[in-house]
Amino acid sequence: MSEKEMSNLIKEYLKEVKSKLPEWLKDKKEHKEILAELEEHIWSKAGELSETGQPTSETVRRAITHMGTPSSIAKEYKRRGTPKFYITEEMWPAFIKVLVIVFSVIIGISIITQVVNFIFGNVDFGELVGGIISGIQIGCLSAFAIITIIFVALSMEGYFPEDFKSKKEREKYRQELERARKEGIPISEIKKKPIKPFMKPVGEIIGGAIVIMIGIFFIAQPIPAVTSIIDPEFLLYLRFAGMFILIEGILDLSRGLIGNRQMFAQQIIHGITIGIKLASISVVILMMNRPEIFPILVVNEPGDALVNIGIAPEFYGIFRGIAGLIIALVALSTIEDFYKIYKAEKYKK
Amino acid sequence: MIKRVRELDSSALIASKDFRDFVEKQETEINRGISSLCILSIIIQAGVEGSHGYQILKDLEAKTSDMLVIEEGTLYPILRKLEDDNIIKSKREQSGRKRKFYSVTEYGKKIYNHLAGFYSKLTEAIGPLFDININLKGEKYLFCPMCANKIELTNLQLRFCDVCGHNIEKELKERGLKNE
Repeated sequence: MSEKEMSNLIKEYLKEVKSKLPEWLKDKKEHKEILAELEEHIWSKAGELSETGQPTSETVRRAITHMGTPSSIAKEYKRRGTPKFYITEEMWPAFIKVLVIVFSVIIGISIITQVVNFIFGNVDFGELVGGIISGIQIGCLSAFAIITIIFVALSMEGYFPEDFKSKKEREKYRQELERARKEGIPISEIKKKPIKPFMKPVGEIIGGAIVIMIGIFFIAQPIPAVTSIIDPEFLLYLRFAGMFILIEGILDLSRGLIGNRQMFAQQIIHGITIGIKLASISVVILMMNRPEIFPILVVNEPGDALVNIGIAPEFYGIFRGIAGLIIALVALSTIEDFYKIYKAEKYKK
Repeated sequence: MIKRVRELDSSALIASKDFRDFVEKQETEINRGISSLCILSIIIQAGVEGSHGYQILKDLEAKTSDMLVIEEGTLYPILRKLEDDNIIKSKREQSGRKRKFYSVTEYGKKIYNHLAGFYSKLTEAIGPLFDININLKGEKYLFCPMCANKIELTNLQLRFCDVCGHNIEKELKERGLKNE
């Protein structure tokens, strides 16, 4: 048998291997290198098996048998992820992410469609609620089934999330990881990405300084032309508010100066901030009950003088509503501090 | 091993499909677990120049007395995985057959030392179950008492295990390798 015929035997085998290789390898054009390596191996083995040292058709066939079946080679390439249920651990975060996105879209579309129908009078309120629930149920169940099947198939093929990224993106990801390892930045076990710093110190310092200045302004009340026409009781409340704002600013500034080094100190400061924010609500409650002292300053046209006209009694309700809203916002803003305390716990490790 | 055995006697256990399938599956599992480690060991022994796929297999067969047999084509997916994990690196020949030569990375050496240590201690521990004795080369290596990392006793300046950070001075002193 001529060398060309032996070569054809090998090509036939490699063609079968290629057809069985997982798609993510074919996409990367890496398969060419893999096939070249296998071909080199077969020629070497065929030469060794031959008595003369020169490959023959028989030794080429035997060398191919030694290589194993194309399926067993492909199977080894596909054995890539860490098993977790039927979807690999590596694909799991992407699976959850896709589910969340698709579910959100389905829920959004179901609500919008039914609300539009309701507005145009096609359905009554009961049908609106029923339509939303059944739409979400059917949509989410179907989406869950389809997405799960896709991810199980991808896991069986040995896909990793990075296989869906371009070469440039993969290189950027690799460099990011390398830099993180060198700089000692921890890498997220779930996302497999360098964990972002807990906070941006410069932002906190600048923000803290601005808040301090606002606090000082409220305490000092440096414009007598304005303060002289405002009720002294309101000015006193304003000083209290300024004191709370000043303390918050100092706390922000301190967190910025501590930076990402002391997570325990960050937690303590966030704890104090929660206390300050909740305490500051008392000032708003006091103001809420005294709408008549709230200043509304206008320019009196004839003499261009500044005049305090106060709030008209018919707007007291609105005033109290706004104050209530401020109380709710301040209380809600403490959620961020609670979250930061929880988040800092992870950064301690 | 069972894969290589031919059925000679129809009454022999090996003729039973259930027996053969079970044994073959178990042998494959055991081989799979240790083949990456053995391949890594062969690559380390090849030094900085490294070794190409075909040579790695030949060395593997020779150094394991043909006991650890892997289908030759499946070597390359294993090498690729090790390279992806930054345990080995490859370099193509500039001239001639332009074969790919594999060598171990610094990180790979640390991985190998740890796994080799774990495997050595494991075989030593399970040896009595099979009525065999395993003698680890205590004069050449120290196995970290905390994580089983294999530490070569050539560098006596060492104070800590580089995997778990355990202070190994006590163990070195016990062996008389370090002054009090």
